[in-house]
Order: sequence, then structure tokens, then C-alpha cells
Amino acid sequence: MSASWKQLCLQILLLLVSCRHINTKTPGPTPPPLIPIDQLPTDVRSVALKGESHTEKVELLNPVNLALECTWTGNQDKLANITGLWRKDGEEVKNSNQTVPMENDQYNLKRVFSIVNEEDLGSYTCEFGSKAKIDFVLAAPQIGDVRDKPIVSYVGDFVVITCKMEETKPEPSTWYWYRANGTDKKQIIAAEEPLRYEIKNEERKTKLVVSSLVETDGGLYFCGAVYAISTSMSHVELKVISFHEPLKPFVAIVIEVIVLVAIILLYEKSQSKKNSTAAENGTTDQTNTLTQGESNGPAEISSMRQRKV
Amino acid sequence: MTKLRPKAESQGDGGEGPDGGYGWVLVGALFVSTSLVFGLMRSLGIFFVEFVQYFDESAQAISWISSTGLAAQQFFSPLGAALCNAYDTRWVVMTGGCLAALGLILASQATCLVHLYLTMGVISGLGWGLVFTPMVATVMANFTRRRTLALGLAFSSIGLSSFAFNPLFQLLVELYTWRGALLILGGLSLNIVPCGALIGPQRRSKAPAKVVSESGVSCASFLQRASSYLELPLLFERPYITYTLAISLLNVGYFVPYFHLVAHSRQVGFSEYQAAFVMSAAGATDILGRIASGWFSDLGHFRLIHLLSVWTTLAGVFIMLLPVSSLSGSYAALMVISLLYGFCSGALTSLVFAVVPMIVGVERMMGALGLLQLIESGAGLLGAPLSGLLKDITGDYTASFMVAGGFVVLGTLTMVTLPHYFCGKDPPPPKSVSPDDPDKGLHAELEQMHSSPSDMNDLTGEVTNNRLPEDTYS
Repeated sequence: MSASWKQLCLQILLLLVSCRHINTKTPGPTPPPLIPIDQLPTDVRSVALKGESHTEKVELLNPVNLALECTWTGNQDKLANITGLWRKDGEEVKNSNQTVPMENDQYNLKRVFSIVNEEDLGSYTCEFGSKAKIDFVLAAPQIGDVRDKPIVSYVGDFVVITCKMEETKPEPSTWYWYRANGTDKKQIIAAEEPLRYEIKNEERKTKLVVSSLVETDGGLYFCGAVYAISTSMSHVELKVISFHEPLKPFVAIVIEVIVLVAIILLYEKSQSKKNSTAAENGTTDQTNTLTQGESNGPAEISSMRQRKV
Repeated sequence: MTKLRPKAESQGDGGEGPDGGYGWVLVGALFVSTSLVFGLMRSLGIFFVEFVQYFDESAQAISWISSTGLAAQQFFSPLGAALCNAYDTRWVVMTGGCLAALGLILASQATCLVHLYLTMGVISGLGWGLVFTPMVATVMANFTRRRTLALGLAFSSIGLSSFAFNPLFQLLVELYTWRGALLILGGLSLNIVPCGALIGPQRRSKAPAKVVSESGVSCASFLQRASSYLELPLLFERPYITYTLAISLLNVGYFVPYFHLVAHSRQVGFSEYQAAFVMSAAGATDILGRIASGWFSDLGHFRLIHLLSVWTTLAGVFIMLLPVSSLSGSYAALMVISLLYGFCSGALTSLVFAVVPMIVGVERMMGALGLLQLIESGAGLLGAPLSGLLKDITGDYTASFMVAGGFVVLGTLTMVTLPHYFCGKDPPPPKSVSPDDPDKGLHAELEQMHSSPSDMNDLTGEVTNNRLPEDTYS
């Protein structure tokens, strides 16, 4: 009996061990934490609130045990005790509800959070009753300049899409590229289609070269800056057009030029014909002096005459 | 012969000269073609960001495209002038327009940087060279009294079109990316062709004075003709050489603020927006200066050469004052000096070309302008690298601006050495070689062929001669 129980226990244990937490988010390339939680480095962020609310941005690169401290000088009520509360992304953190006494004319709230992976990032709020709160927005460095206009390229040509992390922000460990597939993101792996895609990574910059474009290549492309804690995304839209597009205004302009030149030349011809007939009807003796060299004299003179208007 | 006489006499007696009337149509044509040459060149910077990304080259390699284009335009100017002397001006300009458009259209298909150098640089530059000098010479030949005003109005197109082209090119690049935008620009450049068509059939073809016979396409006779079309004998005349030297010295320093003012403002500590605004403001007063100086010069109170000296001296002084004004860190001082500099630099631009016929005469003006452009281009190529070098050595732009301003003032001093500089009236420009006696009777066929077209030149020249000394104080 005990042997089968042992076996069952072992099986259950094996089952539990092999079971993973089911992640409903799109799997990112963030590696699972290799460092046990108690060996993480510690960091402290403290904010002293003066008004009613404040938002503090915290940039994180690596998993860390982050101690968040809130200090509030209180309002005119000057209660002896106030309820303190921590929230993550709006939802109350368990067992965080506590009574905060007033010490040295201020209220203090402090809590240590283990920030290990992408889900631990977000907005952490310490609340003093419902009177005051401080938001800590924890995030990996975000990509600054997001291009809002689409990148345009032609069918058959290639296009270079770049993403850049600002100099003031820390370098990501690597870059990945994704292509929007419905609501999902599909990673672009250059090795699979080396003739079409090429990814050039430098520390702060990444370039995706898409060659032999076709119309279906258009759409949203995402670049991800990978940090130990999470991946920051930025998006660019690509539009692929055929060469007929700019040809339309070009042909319109060429037609306009041809029409203008034709009008000018025809007008001149008609003017010179009029003037040459008028001139020839004039002094005929002068035509006797015309020589070979002056055969274009009348035309010149008539056009000269019209210039002297 | 006699057929031309009444024409000529009416022109001589008329009192109006060639000013006005159809001349203003030509000013409009020059306006459009100048904007499509220089206005376009100035706005090419918008493409450079795209080129850097697409071709994966350094900014310096890309900037050689516009340097090549400008250099080609100035290098081929004498060629354009010579071709106009040999053949019909309108066809030269129309060909130039087609070449400029062709260069840009081919550039839209470029697959490497060298393609861009050859197409946007050489081919379009050749086209621009065949357009600019002939059109300027044609307009100047059509005006005497209002010459500087006509030029000022036409050259104001450069500043105005850069204002218009910058957002336009930006839009084109966003909609069609650089390939499509270059294609459309090629189409726009084709508009130079109708401008050339407006010139009308050639009124004169400059027959070389030294051709002995029609036959014989020997090397020697060809070289003789070519040298007369190019007006190479001008290079041996002291007034022309002096003037060209002066303008070359001017050119060394003239462009330095355009290249370095923004960088200098940023270095002194002003924001990007403030620095760009200084540049735009200088550009606006540049346009004003061109038109105002053109109008004022034609009032005739002063000799053109004196006015030019005043504007160049002032421009040189203001260039030297630019780093000084920003020493105090005051934005207002920098802005004021930049505005004054812009006005003076625009003012002198109108006059630089208008003085040429005073020195060489109207009939040699075409070739003279071509040679002037070629020689001053070499000096211009010197200016920017020199100022960049000074900046690298000294660490800031003070030395660059001082040297640039110094060169401009040196140009003025060279101009002072022109013969008859200190006379109250303009000296008569040198007469052309062909006879100018209107009372000669019938001549042999050959002489008629040579002298009849050049009679027109002479009469224009005579009108110029008779007009200027009196007009100076009218």
C-alpha cells in the first residue's frame, strides 16, 4: 500500500515539477530568472509627497529587489493614524493594508517588491487613505523617437527600417524584430530567409533590411530592445507602392511642359508669319539687298519688332 | 543691310532702349529657371538624410553630390556661353533644361552612390551650366537702365523658392520616397525648357572676327573660333582680370556663413530652433536686399561699381562681426548682425553680374559671365574647407568668420584697383572689333555676314555707351 502511495506522491510531485505557469501573453525572449530571489541586488526609491499625488518613473534593467518608500507630510487634518495601502496596476496588493502612524510630522510607507520579470513591471501605488497617493511606474528603458509616418518603398526595391535607443538610456543586450500577424507578433528570424531579411545589430541601433519587396510586405513592424528584465517595443509602419504612383504626377508635368513649349513656338511662328507678310508688302527695294547671310533677316526683324513692344 | 537700318535707328532714337516690354517676360523666365537651378540645389539637403540611410554612407560622401552639381554648373558655364555665341541661345537653354531633368530622372533609378554623383552631379550640373549663364546674359542684354532691378527681381527667386521647395520636397519624399521625389523633380526641371523657348530666335550670332574662310574645319581655325566664342582673350585684359580676382576673393568668404552660421549659433549655446530661425531671417533679408539694391542701383545716383564696393565692404564687416556679436551671448545682437549680413549679401548679388557689361561691353558679356563663373567656382570650393579647417584647429568658428570676412574685404580692395575706379562717370566699355559706322554702303557678302549681326551688338553697345555717362546723374 505504501509503495503505491509513494509512487502516487512521486508522480504528483513529478507532475507539479513539470507543470509550468501558463503564460497567456505572447512569449517573449526574456530569459527566466536565473538568480534566486533572495540573492537579487537591492535598490531603493523614495519619494516625499508634497501635494496630493505624484508619479515617479523608475527605469529598470535587471531583476532587482526594489524597496519603495513613500513619505507624506499629511494634510490639515493631521490624523494620528491613517490607513496605508499598496496597489499594483490598480489592484490591491495582498496584506498591504496597514495603519500608518504619524512620526515626526509625516507618514511613512515602505515595502520591498521583487521585480524579476516583465509581469512585475507596471504601476505600483502607495496610498494614504484616499487622500494622497504616489505612483511608481516601473519600466524598462523605452525607445524614444517613434516614427509616426509610414516608411514608403517600392515593389522590387529594398528598405531599411531602423530603431535607435537614445544615448542617455542604457544599451539593450540585443535587439529582436517582429512582424504584425493579425493581433499577434511573429518574430523575424533572418537566418530562415537570408535573401529577404537581414538584421544588423549595433549596441544602440538596429537595422532591418527587407529586400525584394512585394505589396504584402506592408504593415506594422516591431523592434524590441531586450533587457534582462523585459523587452521594450517600438513600431514602424511600412508601405509598399508600385512605381506607377509617382509616374502619374510626372507624366502630368511633362504634358504641361510640352503644351507650354508648343504654345510658345506656335505663337511665335504665327507672329513671324504676320510680320513677314507685312514687311514684305513694304519697301520691295530693300529685299534686293538681302543676301544669303540675311535670309533669316525678316524673321529676325519681325521677332525683334514684337520684342520692342 | 539697309533693312536693318531703320530698325536700328528707331532703336537708337527711341530713347527707351531695350528696357521693358518683352524684357519683363524674360525676367519671369529667368525667375523660374533660376529657382529651378539654385533653389533646387539649395533644397537637396532633404534628400541627404534618405540617402545616408538607404546607401549606408557617411554624410560627407553624400554631401559631395551637391558639391559636384554646383561645381559642374560653374565649370560648364563657359561651355554654355560659347555654345550660345556659336549657336542659338534658346536651343542651348532648352537642351540644358532637358539635361538637368534627365540627370534627376536617371538619379531616381540609382543603385549606388556613384550613380548619384554621375547623374545628379555631372549630368544635371552640365544642364544647369547650360541654362544659368545664357539666361542671365540674355536678360542683361535686354535691359540697360533697369538691368540691376531686373536681375535683383529674378535672383530673389532663389530665396523664395528655397522657402517653397523645402516643405514641398519633404512632402514628396514622404509620399513617394526619394526615388519618386527625384522623378517628379526631374519633371519640374523640365519647366526650364519653356523658359528657354521664351527667349525667341537668336537675334545675333557672334561671328568670330578672325575667321578667314568658311571652309577648312582645321584644328587651328576651330581653336581660334572656340577661343573667340569662349572669350578667352578677355583673360588678358586687366580690368576683367582684376574684377574676376575680386569676385573670386569675395566668393571664398561669401558662403561661409551659409555653411557655418547654424553650427556657430548652436555652439554659442542657442537652441536648434533659434539657430535655424537666424538662418531663415538672414534668408528673408537676402531676398529683400536683392530687390532693394536692384531698384536703388538703377536710380542711377551712383556708379554700380561704387555701390558694389559698399555692399561687399559691409558684408565683409558684418561677417567679421558675427562671432563678436555672439560673444556677449545676446541672441538679439546675433540676430541683428545676421539680418544686416543677409541684406548686404543679397544686395551685392544683384550687382556682381550687372557690373560685368560695364567692364567688357554687352556683346562680350555672355562669354565673360561664363569665364567669371568658372574662375569664381574654384575660389568658392576653397572657402568651405578652409573655414572648416580653421574651426578644427582653433575649436570655434571665430577664426573662420574673421578670415571669411577678411577675404570679402580683400575682394573690395582688389576692386578699387580697377581702372577709372575713382572717376565720377563710368568709362565707356571697350568697343567690339567690327565696324560700327551705320552709313557704310553695300559690302561684299562675307563682310555683310559678319557685320550685319554685329551691327546690332554695336548699336546696343552704342546705346549703352551713350546712355551710361548721362544716366549716371539723371
